[in-house]
Amino acid sequence: MDSLKLGPYEFSSRLILGTGKFSSTRRMLDAIKASGTQLVTVALRRFNREQAEDDLLGPLSEMGGITLMPNTSGAATAKEAVRAAHISRELSGSPFVKVEIHPNPHHLMPDPIETWEACRILAGEGFLVMPYIPADPVLARRLEEVGCTSIMPLGSAIGSGQGLSTAGMLKIIIRESSIPVIVDAGLRAPSEACAAMEMGCEAVLVNSAVAVAGDPMAMASAFGEAVLAGRRAWHAGIMQKSGSAVATSPLTSFLGTD
Amino acid sequence: MPEGSSVADLLELAGTGRQQVAVVLNEAIVRPENRATTLLKENDQVDVLVFAGGG
Repeated sequence: MDSLKLGPYEFSSRLILGTGKFSSTRRMLDAIKASGTQLVTVALRRFNREQAEDDLLGPLSEMGGITLMPNTSGAATAKEAVRAAHISRELSGSPFVKVEIHPNPHHLMPDPIETWEACRILAGEGFLVMPYIPADPVLARRLEEVGCTSIMPLGSAIGSGQGLSTAGMLKIIIRESSIPVIVDAGLRAPSEACAAMEMGCEAVLVNSAVAVAGDPMAMASAFGEAVLAGRRAWHAGIMQKSGSAVATSPLTSFLGTD
Repeated sequence: MPEGSSVADLLELAGTGRQQVAVVLNEAIVRPENRATTLLKENDQVDVLVFAGGG
């Protein structure tokens, strides 16, 4: 089976879903189910008695077949990200961590230096480290060298829906990387997830595109199918582009009037 | 909180109920099996954390 291999884990779905921005927990759970995903991200927040019904851990555990990938959102430094990872592992029991360090809320671009440092420490502690990064092939190589399980370069800024604006660099990263490349952030429509898979990404991570869609459950299902289609196409060998036309039908002249 | 209160007492006061939470006491994680016996002192910093939606 063509499964997504991350450390010792194997997933049949190559769609990873974020759980943020859904209008309700119920909608989020329905979307997760509809998408076929087996890996979802979550964030940490302080317990608040008034929000107790928004508990995610209980419903997600009950769902079965879902592995959690806690993120370190909120961390501005490697030290804070490492702390978040420790707390998250304690709470979830999952060895996955999405290292996400983006101190500026206007662009939410990842800090490459703090990210590298956090990944170095966490990979050394045995976490399955999945860093969220700019689409930088040099940084991607550095992170592979310190023991990350995958790399997750952005398609465009988080929540911007600007799509695969980093396509050129993504292709380079995919070519040069021996660990799975997972596009994360900025995807808006299923076609973009399909395109990422056609390029050779091993998976895509989508959050806003599903959560703020008119019908999140339907959109989640569409993304699931798009990821499948893209992966199949990649396996099937996509034709090359040509500078000029290459006929598909015989250009017989007997149909002319002379 | 009264003198000699435990982390478990604090969680009861906070109303966590049966929800799974993480507890950090002065930068050290307090595991569930230790919460009844871990006592709080004045100026202790306690963080009670849960998972929320996030991408």
